[in-house]
Amino acid sequence: MSKHLVFIIDKPLHGNVKAQEFLDSILMAAAFDQRVDVVLVGDGVFAMLDNQQPEKLDMKNILPVFGTLSLYGINGVTVEEEALRERGLVISQLHEISNVMPREKVKQTMLTAHHIFSF
Amino acid sequence: MSLKVKFAIQVNASPYQYQASDSAWHFVMSALSSGHEVYRVFFYNDGIYNAFRDARPPGDERHIVERWATLNAVHDIDLVVCVSSAQRRGLLDASVAEKVSGYQHALADGFRIAGLGLWMEGVIESDRHIVFGA
Repeated sequence: MSKHLVFIIDKPLHGNVKAQEFLDSILMAAAFDQRVDVVLVGDGVFAMLDNQQPEKLDMKNILPVFGTLSLYGINGVTVEEEALRERGLVISQLHEISNVMPREKVKQTMLTAHHIFSF
Repeated sequence: MSLKVKFAIQVNASPYQYQASDSAWHFVMSALSSGHEVYRVFFYNDGIYNAFRDARPPGDERHIVERWATLNAVHDIDLVVCVSSAQRRGLLDASVAEKVSGYQHALADGFRIAGLGLWMEGVIESDRHIVFGA
């Protein structure tokens, strides 16, 4: 039986290795043919900001990997509408976002998931 | 009738500095004594520091590494250390260490080093997964 797994990103990606290791989990879930959703909430919206330069921290830019999620059968990245608005951001400033979802719907997605992951 | 739950446990923090690995261990012990099942404990991120053989805490302190090893020996709980987290932090499997002229005896008894796939398999096989340490 395939399960529904939801991966919540609530913080920026670079500056430590946690996000990279979290992304590995996401890809692994997809490799197991599970139904996978990736949702940005809170400060997680900063994760997908365009024009990040993690090279200046001598860190690998993991943003391009998000662009390849569809190759792994993942239905893209969803961003919470309120989180964007509260931070004065618009969708065009973000990289590779497939869906915008109101907070209430994010809640519903989490309620019906078999497993929820964060980092 | 009580419900039996199957758990997959992830430990993400190093021992002693944070309570996460203590909490995880206490949780596993309680779950087992309540008749539940722990499918696997997976050590990820800094959690891999729970698996260093040469940890030598003062004699009057709890020995976190040995405590995990005992859990494996007594209850046969599968203790898996993520290979990429471990290699990044200098914990090598004996066979890998041999190839790269690294230290071959770093991994404590009771643990095995394997890929992230075992975590995901554990999650899928379990009713609940619980993560200790952010």
